[in-house]
Amino acid sequence: MMQRHRINNKRGRALPARLQLACSIACLVIVTIPAGGTQPKDSIPASQHTFTIRFRNKAGSRELKLFGETYTNSFGEPMTITRFKYYVSHIRVAGTDHRERPLSNRSYLIDEADPSSKILVLPYPGIAIQSITFDIGVDSILNVSGVQTGDLDPLKGMFWTWNSGYIFAKLEGQSDSSHAPAHYFNWDVGGFKSPANASRKITVAVPPRGQMTTASGIVIDADLLKWCDGPHTIKISQHPLCHQPGELAMQIADNYSTMFSVAP
Amino acid sequence: MRSLFTIGFFLLVLFIGLSWIDAGKRPTPLKFTVPPNWPQPRYDFKHNPLTREGFLLGRKLFFDERLSKDATISCASCHQQFGAFSTYEHNLSHGVDNSLTTRNAPALQNLAWQSAFMWDGGINHLDLQPFAPLTAPNEMGETLAGALRKLQQDTSYTAMFAAAFGDSAITTQRMNKALSQYMLMLVSCNSKYDKVMRGEASFIMPEQLGYAIFKQKCSACHSEPLFTDLSYRNTGLPVDNTLNDYGRMKITGDKKDSLKFKVPSLRNVAITYPYGHDGRFFTLLNVFEHYRKNMVVSPLTDSLLQHKMPLSNYEIGQLTAFLYTLTDTTFLKNPLFAPEGYTVTPVFIHRH
Repeated sequence: MMQRHRINNKRGRALPARLQLACSIACLVIVTIPAGGTQPKDSIPASQHTFTIRFRNKAGSRELKLFGETYTNSFGEPMTITRFKYYVSHIRVAGTDHRERPLSNRSYLIDEADPSSKILVLPYPGIAIQSITFDIGVDSILNVSGVQTGDLDPLKGMFWTWNSGYIFAKLEGQSDSSHAPAHYFNWDVGGFKSPANASRKITVAVPPRGQMTTASGIVIDADLLKWCDGPHTIKISQHPLCHQPGELAMQIADNYSTMFSVAP
Repeated sequence: MRSLFTIGFFLLVLFIGLSWIDAGKRPTPLKFTVPPNWPQPRYDFKHNPLTREGFLLGRKLFFDERLSKDATISCASCHQQFGAFSTYEHNLSHGVDNSLTTRNAPALQNLAWQSAFMWDGGINHLDLQPFAPLTAPNEMGETLAGALRKLQQDTSYTAMFAAAFGDSAITTQRMNKALSQYMLMLVSCNSKYDKVMRGEASFIMPEQLGYAIFKQKCSACHSEPLFTDLSYRNTGLPVDNTLNDYGRMKITGDKKDSLKFKVPSLRNVAITYPYGHDGRFFTLLNVFEHYRKNMVVSPLTDSLLQHKMPLSNYEIGQLTAFLYTLTDTTFLKNPLFAPEGYTVTPVFIHRH
């Protein structure tokens, strides 16, 4: 680290990424050489450092399959699903003391079409997890700070270009109940500005059997039929389209905030 | 002892490595000058420091027609330098497949001082702005993935991205940061008006009289030195029943914002006609006629215009003389803003 400081001062400007990487690698080499390849004393097998949350998207009791399969909501409206995506942010957990411990400040895009996106590997909190809390949404600051990268890259199709802001959750498909062109229904829900802030905080309880398996992982089910049927009645026949922040988006967000549960 | 030697050896390797890395090319910083007596820019340059390489990349992107779906339309197609980066002589801009947009392309100038873009202010960051015209079906009609793929397959771009950003990765963020770098440099601050303010020139009589009328009747909204206060106002423009454009209301969802549009800057106004969000006014005289006669006043019309704006023919004459002093030929002919290989934006860019 000494070398890094000296170089920094002499040049009086920030080190480029390439240089920083090279320094880090070099320092790492220097640090590990005298240790002679022996394991540090406090080493724990890697599997105990992390645990996974797997999101399992469902329609009622059936596991979701995009295209082809037809599902029916509680109003008897049939639907096939072509896209199902949502942003999970600020995952935190609580133990018996009910104190929330942040596990990640990232926003993860859960995309049904991308199986790897549904498995989140997180640092293991080292407690018996009683509940998991997260937001369906993207921090307001990230909605106003230019082009983001990774899961938040507008390339992911979850960004409104004409009225800047993220689509927090998207459910798209076709339904004979829809009067929109080609019987599409298309619910893009977002909005970070009051009074149309569609970000929702979700807390799910981890059942006792789930707690026993926290070291290996937890499965969170997301039932998309709840988009229609929650605190509000959202019929495809009445509201086949939601494309902007506002009252309808707020109501759909209220509904889908009830779709999560930890698999027993 | 042996471990000390080992450490020494690795330190040596480290230093040799560092000097090799440091010899690698860095982009050359580009200075952004705030004109005297102007406010501080709103754009956060810390997250996108201007460099020569970034600017040149942005300029290439700005003039690249391949970014559109069928390789016919670039940013520069509707934002032409000789029209202060508006669409010269066009009311509504043209998009791919013979489509027409619903709005008049605004001049691109002094964007560093703005924090919201479009006539309705719907876009909240300059870096996000290019996504809208790039993907709109009646503008460039391309997907972000499609645009990136074209750039990634072009080795001249991989080299320019590497020169600007350190490695050849081409991402949406980098593409738009480069475009921002070009657009941020589009500063118009050298009109006759500016020279008069700096004491380098003086107004002739009609200009001077027009300036006095301007300060009395126009500058509440078109405030100096940007000649806009960047607010959104309802100026009594009746809605066009084919465009059905209610402006700011579409963004905020608030009925009070019905028919509000951003106050446009009057810099280079003489060459940015037609005027208005939908280009309905073909001449300055049409605009003056609107304000003094044709406005449709409603309770939602701006409080400053509840009684329209009385203007005599004499005042219109003097005001016009003043407004012509806002034309900045240095800006309109700056060879730095023309595409590579040209000293002025060539006429073929204007193909509509």
